[in-house]
Amino acid sequence: MSHHQYAMVMDLNKCLGCQTCTIACKKLWTDRDGTQHMYWNNVETRPGIGYPRQWDQIGGGWKDGQLQPSRQPTLEDYGAPWEFDYEQRLYEGKGKPVMPSPDPVSGPNWDEDVGALNGDENFYFYLPRICNHCTNPACLAACPRQAIYKRTEDGIVVLDQERCEGYRYCVAACPYKKIYFNEITGKSEKCIFCYPRLEKGEVNACAAQCPGRLRFVGLLDDPGSAVHKLVYVYKAALPLFPEKGTEPNVFYVPPFNPPKRTNYGKSILEDPRLPLDYLIYLFGPAVKDVIVRLEAELTRAQNGGISELLQLLIGRDAETRYQVRPQLVQIQAGNGRPL
Amino acid sequence: MRTPWKIIAALGCSFLAAVFVAHGTQAQQKAVKAAATDSVGMSLRVAAAPSRAEALLDPMAADWTSIPAQRVALNRTPRLYDTEAPSELEIPFVDVRLARTAGKLLVQMTWRDPTQDAPEIAKLPSAPAEGRPNKELTEATDRFSDSAAVMYPTRPVEKGQWPSLQMGDPANPVSIYFWNASRGAARMQAEGRGTTRRTGETFPARAVYRDQAWHVAMELADVPPGTPLAFAIWNGSQQDRDGRKYFTSWMKLE
Repeated sequence: MSHHQYAMVMDLNKCLGCQTCTIACKKLWTDRDGTQHMYWNNVETRPGIGYPRQWDQIGGGWKDGQLQPSRQPTLEDYGAPWEFDYEQRLYEGKGKPVMPSPDPVSGPNWDEDVGALNGDENFYFYLPRICNHCTNPACLAACPRQAIYKRTEDGIVVLDQERCEGYRYCVAACPYKKIYFNEITGKSEKCIFCYPRLEKGEVNACAAQCPGRLRFVGLLDDPGSAVHKLVYVYKAALPLFPEKGTEPNVFYVPPFNPPKRTNYGKSILEDPRLPLDYLIYLFGPAVKDVIVRLEAELTRAQNGGISELLQLLIGRDAETRYQVRPQLVQIQAGNGRPL
Repeated sequence: MRTPWKIIAALGCSFLAAVFVAHGTQAQQKAVKAAATDSVGMSLRVAAAPSRAEALLDPMAADWTSIPAQRVALNRTPRLYDTEAPSELEIPFVDVRLARTAGKLLVQMTWRDPTQDAPEIAKLPSAPAEGRPNKELTEATDRFSDSAAVMYPTRPVEKGQWPSLQMGDPANPVSIYFWNASRGAARMQAEGRGTTRRTGETFPARAVYRDQAWHVAMELADVPPGTPLAFAIWNGSQQDRDGRKYFTSWMKLE
């Protein structure tokens, strides 16, 4: 059990799907040998195949206290970057336009903006994903070498590159498939929640760069933090696939889910644009209560009242969204308690 | 040569013992540890080879053919989790030849493996990735390479008390010579399950895959007579790694 727990809340109503977070993370952490298929932060269109492909169907996580089976994702599931046939087109005189080569069959964000049909209306939204830094991490339990540990001081789950032997039990065990194997180093890697930045008082790179300002970062146990308020006070944010049993510390404010275009003015639960079943699939049955709560807050604001929750979700400035507390974490860590 | 069936029966007991260590109580573990003495297991003959160690490092060298192979039954470790796919005993035995020459112990291991899992993997460049436009690429995330290893107690065994077969124990650390078809040879140390660590040293080893079989020669430091040795084999296509492997019991070096 960690003394503190850093957490992130992402408001899915504000995500533009611009991938700025993805690139911020990629440039900072995975622009190295063997990491071309890794996106510690990715943004996928939902409904969709996700990244790695069909990760929500592959397996892993807990059931009745037992780790669940899973195959290893292939490089194709991650979608390796492809090259273009410049040689043929530019120098060999072939008349066709430049095309990817060889013909790609998958890639991260492969089905961007495709979504699905609800009746005759298309619907989709973006789902940004990082490691959930779970309270009960399946990856940690699966490693026979104790290479993965949860930092006592702030709850961040890290993978010791010295201890790792590349067995990949952790890759299989993670139900979110947020651990990646680097074949060049022969070791697995994962999101480190930008702990070197947090230790300096800087917020995570994915959050800092987000133009939509949809990310909230802080200690879950800090009553003054936005993440604490959104998760525990307003109860407006939920973890992804709670039934996987890992107790994620990344939470999502679900899409408000407005009514279909033809039903303007109706309650969002009367004729929702996003099928409620799909949101329940992602966030569990509690999502219905959250949507009702969000709708009530919206109605209050539209009627001239003040919604503290919506004001917080707007999160105009960094001070509202981020409460990085390196002093608090350090004081606790250096306080003679076991690390 | 001994009757293989007797060996298999003897090793079967060790295999059950290993299962008990994995799942049993402390009392069971103590009982198993007490049983792990040199009263169990076969012994291994070592030839005095006139040839130089360098020549014997070729696993196909003619010098090896004059040394009789000792067929050792392999066991398969039980599944780590109920959720893992069942692991089949696809490789029932390994043929071992041993030769002592010029203060070295040369080991030749031969085993049948219809699938050669030895993908060539680019080495991590020594120059930092930052500022280097071209990076080495991960070509697959779900493949594992064939491997083999020889293990022996790091310290001389006292009163016939041999280390736990599961990577030694805190009182009896083990040394491991580990060869991987993709990543080469590395020396390791361990003092119990999950404690394996690389020493940073390598050792001379050569391997040939021919006629659906691996032939691996390794040069070990001189190991004194009476030392127990154990062998292990990993089959990449069975996703073998870690304790998911084939293993022999301890066998005393003559």
